[in-house]
Amino acid sequence: MVIDLSPFYGATTPFDRLFETLWPSMAISQRGTAYPPVNIGEDDENLYVRCEIPGMAIADLDLTLTDSSLVIKGERKAERGKYYRQERPTGVFQRVVNISGGVSRDKVTATMRDGLLEVVLPKSDESKPKKISIVTV
Amino acid sequence: MADSVAKAEERRLPRVKPATDIIEKEDGFYIYLDMPGVSKEHLVIDLNEDELKVSGKAEYALAEGQKLGHVEFGGGEYFRSFTVSHIVDKERIKASLRDGVLELHLPRQEKAQPRKIEIQAG
Repeated sequence: MVIDLSPFYGATTPFDRLFETLWPSMAISQRGTAYPPVNIGEDDENLYVRCEIPGMAIADLDLTLTDSSLVIKGERKAERGKYYRQERPTGVFQRVVNISGGVSRDKVTATMRDGLLEVVLPKSDESKPKKISIVTV
Repeated sequence: MADSVAKAEERRLPRVKPATDIIEKEDGFYIYLDMPGVSKEHLVIDLNEDELKVSGKAEYALAEGQKLGHVEFGGGEYFRSFTVSHIVDKERIKASLRDGVLELHLPRQEKAQPRKIEIQAG
C-alpha cells in the first residue's frame, strides 16, 4: 500500500485515530441530503441562496431562474487515473430552490468564491415590507 | 482559565473530514480534497517526516440584518492526515487551491521509477 489513510494505520496517536473515525464524513452518500447543500438567507433588500459546490468554476454551472424557482445545474467531472480512494462525488447534479415572492429578475447576481456559490436575488419593490402608518381619528 | 475559554471558542466549529480522492497518474500521486469555503489564508499544510497534515477553516459570517431561513451546511474545521510512502519525493510535493478544492501533487522519487534490469550473460 503506497498511501494508507485508513484509521488503523499511520495516525499518530490512538486518540487521533479514534477522532478521525468519529468525525462526520463529507461524502454525499453519508450525508443523506440533496446535493449540493443549500443555505437560504434573507434581509430587507435581498434573498441569498448559497451553495457549497467545490471544484466548479462559475462558467461550468448552469443557473436558471424561472417564475417561482432557481435551478442550479452542473456536472462534477472525475479525474483520470488509477483511483486508490474516491470519496468526492462526481456526476450530474441539479437542485431546485423555490423562490416565493417577487424578485427583480434583472438584478440577480451570482458569484463563486472558494467553492461557495452565492446568488443574490434583490426583492422587487412590491414584496418589500412596508410600514403602514395608522392615523388616529 | 482564559486559555480554556479561547479553546471552547475555537471548538464551536465542527471538525469535518474533507472528502478525498487519491489518484495515481503517470507523474505521481494526486490527492484532491473538497474544502469549500476555505481560503488560502486559512489553509495549513504540514509535512512532518512521513505525516502530511492538512487543515483548514471555513467560516461563514452572516452580514448584519440577515437571517437564515433554511440551513444545510455551515462552516467547519477540516482536518485530515495522510501517511506518505517513501517512494514519494517529499521535496517536490506541490499544493494548489482552486475553487475550494485542494490539489496535492506527490511526485515519485526518481529512483522509484520502474526500470529494466539488464541481464548480463556470463
